[in-house]
Amino acid sequence: MSQPAVMFDGVWKKFRRGERHDSLRDLIPAIARGVLGRRRSNDLQDEEFWAVRDVSFEVQPGQALGIIGPNGAGKSTTLKLLTKILKPTQGRCEVRGRAGALIEVAAGFHPDLTGRENVYLQGAIMGMRRAGIAKHFDEIVDFAGVHEFIDTPVKRYSSGMNARLGFAIAVNLDPEVLIIDEVLSVGDMGFQRRCVQRMREFKRNGVSIVFVSHNLQAVADLCDRTVHLNGTVRCVGPTTDVLDDYLRCDPTASAEAPTTARVSIRAARLTDRAGAPVAEVTPGTDLTLSVTYGVHGPTAGLTFGLILHRSTDGLVVYDANFEPGEIGMTSSAAGEMVVDYRLRANVTRGLYHFECHVFDDATQTFLHRFNPAAKLTVHEERTWSGIADLSITPCGRSIPEQLLTATSGF
Amino acid sequence: MFATLTNELREMALEQVQFRELLLQITLRDLRVRYKQTIMGFGWAMFMPLVNTAVFSVIFMRVAPLDTGMPYPLFAYCGLLTWNFSAAAFRFAVTSLTGNSNLVTKVYFPREIFPISSVIVSFIDLLVGSLVLVGLSVYYRVPPTWMLMVLPAVLLVHVCFTVAVAMILAMANLFYRDVRYLFDIVLTVWMFSTSVLYPMSLVGGKTGRVLALNPMTPIIDAYRNVLIRGVAPDPSFGWTTGVTVVLLVMAWVAFHRAEVSFAENI
Repeated sequence: MSQPAVMFDGVWKKFRRGERHDSLRDLIPAIARGVLGRRRSNDLQDEEFWAVRDVSFEVQPGQALGIIGPNGAGKSTTLKLLTKILKPTQGRCEVRGRAGALIEVAAGFHPDLTGRENVYLQGAIMGMRRAGIAKHFDEIVDFAGVHEFIDTPVKRYSSGMNARLGFAIAVNLDPEVLIIDEVLSVGDMGFQRRCVQRMREFKRNGVSIVFVSHNLQAVADLCDRTVHLNGTVRCVGPTTDVLDDYLRCDPTASAEAPTTARVSIRAARLTDRAGAPVAEVTPGTDLTLSVTYGVHGPTAGLTFGLILHRSTDGLVVYDANFEPGEIGMTSSAAGEMVVDYRLRANVTRGLYHFECHVFDDATQTFLHRFNPAAKLTVHEERTWSGIADLSITPCGRSIPEQLLTATSGF
Repeated sequence: MFATLTNELREMALEQVQFRELLLQITLRDLRVRYKQTIMGFGWAMFMPLVNTAVFSVIFMRVAPLDTGMPYPLFAYCGLLTWNFSAAAFRFAVTSLTGNSNLVTKVYFPREIFPISSVIVSFIDLLVGSLVLVGLSVYYRVPPTWMLMVLPAVLLVHVCFTVAVAMILAMANLFYRDVRYLFDIVLTVWMFSTSVLYPMSLVGGKTGRVLALNPMTPIIDAYRNVLIRGVAPDPSFGWTTGVTVVLLVMAWVAFHRAEVSFAENI
């Protein structure tokens, strides 16, 4: 195996809570303490805390590593350690090759300078030479789409124009390692798509990528391996496994049932056709989602919903409602009832979960929402991205030459 | 010990070479921003010392006449122009790191670029302002001499001394914001302790001996010697050169070592 392009080896980073002594008045006591007390760098003083604890990972050339985790988990600190903006308290981090960092796309812009002047300034900040910037200048302006405003000070730009120009400069640099923090969160959909496309191109060309994002779908699309950070490494491995681990500790998912409801959902179970519980399948597998309803009153006027979400971004993949008659819930007798929703998992690789609910048409309210009712992980290596599995079977045919000349006449 | 220091110095110098494009761009940025939306533009670089020269000429030619051995406006303008170069560079450098906090916390590059670019920007003002000095020399019929050959050496020492102090100020203000306010007072006192408006030789006694340690006085006197009097710099210029070399090495090494903690302390 080749040498890793990015190496993070047992890195610890300590920060201080609140303000440090910013005024000379506090300097003298601080020096006195420093002289008298022998401080060891790996002991925590008052008001100090570990932002990053014992984090290790590697990225091979051409690989993309995702970093996910809740706010304050140390993601940005990790990136700043990688880009040498911060120095680790302990441990070693190393980036081999020229690193391009997109921690904030327009960080170096000066509001009083024109777009043109800022392109050269920002390019130099990213380590490009004047000639290199000049060569890409038209490309940059094209990509950003700011032709007519290139000689206007950027303080008169809209925030979208600012972001586009910043990103356009960044994607035209020629890095060996790309370190990206949440650039996807600025800009519109077209911009985000261009952004992801460009990163894939980089990856194909052997550029290593470290990608921090809250956009889990983008992480799932782009990254081979992912680290789940929470101060320390909670989980590291193939992206699907790590995302699953991350979604599991999402506190917003709840499944509590109101006991007073006319109809509530007691349980849900995902099985294959033979009745064995499953959670991981390949596309096109026949499955059964068995939902147990508790019935305490009349079911007329109720709607029973079944939704499939993609877990990484909450996208609704499938959403259908059923009348009581359709699912055989005609009796108004109290008790429990099981409905088997037979389905085929015609979706591509990813993490999904089912939601079941009971809706009252008369009051337009949910009697019960059961989410997540069941989890489903789909594995396959065929598709590049997307959701629907079209079960495509390509088939090539050769066309006889005389037929070709006959039809090409029109 | 000595070998590690040499290595460190070499590494620091290489870093500056590697990031020269950025130094150029940051300097251009500061120059452009400085006179954006002004009508006079670089005219300001000549205007300020000219006004001061006029004011002090009235004071030291009419109110309290002073013998400086040359036309007083020439004496004052030469002093003000060269002093203002350092003063402006210091004033600019003090906030150069804190004013660029978005860059310091978001992008990695050698932070020396900020104080150094402050010095270069002020140096451009010095060049522009020196046009007036040439004009005054012609007006007072001061002929150029071969001593002009020494001018680059004087400039070099002056620039190096300014860079050293600029680095210390920028770094100190990042950790303690008091520096900026304290510095305003110090700068005023420093100016009147330097031979900007009157020769320091006029100050005698104990005060004079203490003020003789001020490394700025020999620099400003050296300018007058080589540009106007046509004689070599005083021996005290050697003292300033020594101070400058030691100070520059110390300031740069200290800056370089503290640099890694700038982002979290800004």
